[in-house]
Amino acid sequence: MLVRRCLAGDAVAWEEIVQKYNRRIYNICYRFAGSGEDAQDLTQEVFIKMYRTLKTYDVGRGAFMTWVTTITRNLLVDHFRKSKQDRVTDSMDTAPSEHEDAMPLSEQIPDKAAPPDAHVQSRETGETVHRALQKLSPELREAVILRDLQDMDYREIAAVLKVPEGTVKSRINRGRAELARLLQRTYRQVM
Amino acid sequence: MPGESKNGMQCAEFDLLLCEVLDEMLSGDRLEKFQAHGRVCPVCGPLLAEAKEGRQWLKSLQEVEPPANLVHNILVATTGLDTVRLRQPASAQPQISWAERMREWAGTLVAPVWAVARQPRFAMSFGMAFFSLSLALSMAGIKVSDLRHVDLRPSAVKRTYYEASGRVVKYYENIRFVYEIESRVREFKRATTPAEPGPAPEEQKERKNNNNTSGQPEQKQERNYSQGGDQPVLASAPNDPPVVTVTTYRRFV
Ligand SMILES: [Zn+2]
Repeated sequence: MLVRRCLAGDAVAWEEIVQKYNRRIYNICYRFAGSGEDAQDLTQEVFIKMYRTLKTYDVGRGAFMTWVTTITRNLLVDHFRKSKQDRVTDSMDTAPSEHEDAMPLSEQIPDKAAPPDAHVQSRETGETVHRALQKLSPELREAVILRDLQDMDYREIAAVLKVPEGTVKSRINRGRAELARLLQRTYRQVM
Repeated sequence: MPGESKNGMQCAEFDLLLCEVLDEMLSGDRLEKFQAHGRVCPVCGPLLAEAKEGRQWLKSLQEVEPPANLVHNILVATTGLDTVRLRQPASAQPQISWAERMREWAGTLVAPVWAVARQPRFAMSFGMAFFSLSLALSMAGIKVSDLRHVDLRPSAVKRTYYEASGRVVKYYENIRFVYEIESRVREFKRATTPAEPGPAPEEQKERKNNNNTSGQPEQKQERNYSQGGDQPVLASAPNDPPVVTVTTYRRFV
């Protein structure tokens, strides 16, 4: 097993772990944090944390992938809290809302986009959806990212988020619905 | 409203089943009850439609490509190792090693000089310069082969420098001592031979007595050597303008 080899001091095993998981972690970070730059820094942080805490990984407590995703998620939450604090202290004139998902998105999302039913696979559309995703509350955002972008099952997501499966499903529903509403508003404004 | 029962299903149950329905994992009687609730409930109906749409949007997002140097950076940040295997994916941004950079830098310094040295009219001067340098070194007792195992620690380099310069100074002093004695001997001879008026006749006499081995030609030769010693070998070709030429050639490199 890779982890055991890694703990035995096998540098190649660690390299294999990095090769195997960097893409996944980078994508989670990118979709959660929003920018490629942040995603790169956060992915690096995730691996540094993984490297330091590798010996705490317990095979009996779950899949390695779940462990990796949990580390990623916890770091993202920390990062979000920190950046939110920065935002609050930075701009006192913009009142920070309790629920980010309640904020109107129409002004922030660029008006250039395809009509909602076309769902054209264009770069612009992808960019619009990506920006709308950033407007979801972190709770809803992480839930839909893990489910719809990472294809994790509900049990795994529940383990990562440390909430019951029912709560996971509920968050996924609300996250998806909120995203649809945000994008509807955007397109309605265009038309 | 949540908790409200419509068509034998509560909103909370609808919410729980929504994911399964969109995953197409629900069927039969439960699916029918679910759909019936969605048709009449003002909260759950729109939720079903929006969740379905939102899911489609999310599924339309494609995986993004991590930066090419990400793996490399992670490994450097964790193990501090930059393995050879990992240089390949990072090759989009070529990593130039320290040694390569130094070689390049040295190359840019040497290139203009080398370009000049390759010119036929300068080649001889450079050859002579190198020859005299190696001659001077070997006279001072330094062999080029010795340079292979030179100790490069600062203290050792300092010691080597002082030893070498000491040897060169000693060699130079020895030559000076010999010349000194020779010139004293010559002065003594001149003093003992009958006095001749003026330098001009002396020159004429010199020309007449070309075969004479009394030391006069040696004196001339000595002067030439001393001249040669004072001026750098490069400057021995009076037509070459060394500094200007070097800068001109540098522009072409
Ligand atoms: Zn309902």
